[in-house]
Amino acid sequence: MSENSGFRQGMQVAFRLGTELTVATIIGGLLGYALDSFFGTKPWGMVIGILLGSAAGCLAVYRVAMTLTIEEDDTNNDLE
Amino acid sequence: MESPLHHFEVHTIVPIHIGGLDLSINNAVVAMWVGLAVICGMFILPARKGLSLVPGKLQSVLEIAVEFIRNLVYEFIGEEEGRKYVPFIASLFLFILACNLIGLVPGSYTITSQLVVTGVFATGIFILTLVIGFSKHGMGFLGILVPPGIPKVLIPVMIPIEIISMLARPISLAVRLFANMTAGHTVLAVLFGLAMTGPLWLGWLPFGFTVVINGLEIAIAFIQAYIFTTLTCVYIGDVIKLH
Repeated sequence: MSENSGFRQGMQVAFRLGTELTVATIIGGLLGYALDSFFGTKPWGMVIGILLGSAAGCLAVYRVAMTLTIEEDDTNNDLE
Repeated sequence: MESPLHHFEVHTIVPIHIGGLDLSINNAVVAMWVGLAVICGMFILPARKGLSLVPGKLQSVLEIAVEFIRNLVYEFIGEEEGRKYVPFIASLFLFILACNLIGLVPGSYTITSQLVVTGVFATGIFILTLVIGFSKHGMGFLGILVPPGIPKVLIPVMIPIEIISMLARPISLAVRLFANMTAGHTVLAVLFGLAMTGPLWLGWLPFGFTVVINGLEIAIAFIQAYIFTTLTCVYIGDVIKLH
């Protein structure tokens, strides 16, 4: 089970990052749209929502990438 | 010529209507029962028969599976805290895996290709993380919305971003499993449709692809079940550790 764990981890990250980036943007846009139709402030809520959503998506990807690079640095140090 | 999306349709088998609620037994429900029966049969029957210290074939497979899930939970939640979540995560993984694999049997039904099913799983997990967080940290759980070490000026910007990324978690969990299963089965259906409609000297080509992609789909079934449970562990671990 452990010999292909690198492959498994890679697949996990690949599938995870793609959806997280898109879904966060869509959620931000939808929340903005909902606030717009609630307060009657048409395009602004959606515009800000999409911006914040894409920021959230980038942040999620950045966090996953940071944990990955830390792990990789650790393994590289072990090899030296 | 059947539509490639035909095999995602739900057909009622035994109609049951109780007070305006449609509780009919359809092919999706039957597929879910089969998945449940396979898992229960695989785990309960050997346990009833008596476990041996030197495991037989089935028992060693099951032991490896359970050990694998336990290590996963310990890795992401921690050994102390994770112990009580092992049964939940193990049932989640095995049920999703069984449903994914049953869907690959020709003529059966893939319940994980229904957004309702994966959505209910993801919503349940989301509510579970909220319950764990609030019962563990009280109102201090709201501190998860403010990442450590950011300047005070950025806090009004960070809170909506964090709320969006919290809400995006269950939805991406549900959409990922649903989209992967639906896409894979649609590709299989389209290729098989090509193989059936084409002449024989051309039809063997898409048919060969269906065989290859079926093998790929088995790998996808395992990987998607693995990703779903890993991310569940990650989310529960995040809520317990709070940064």
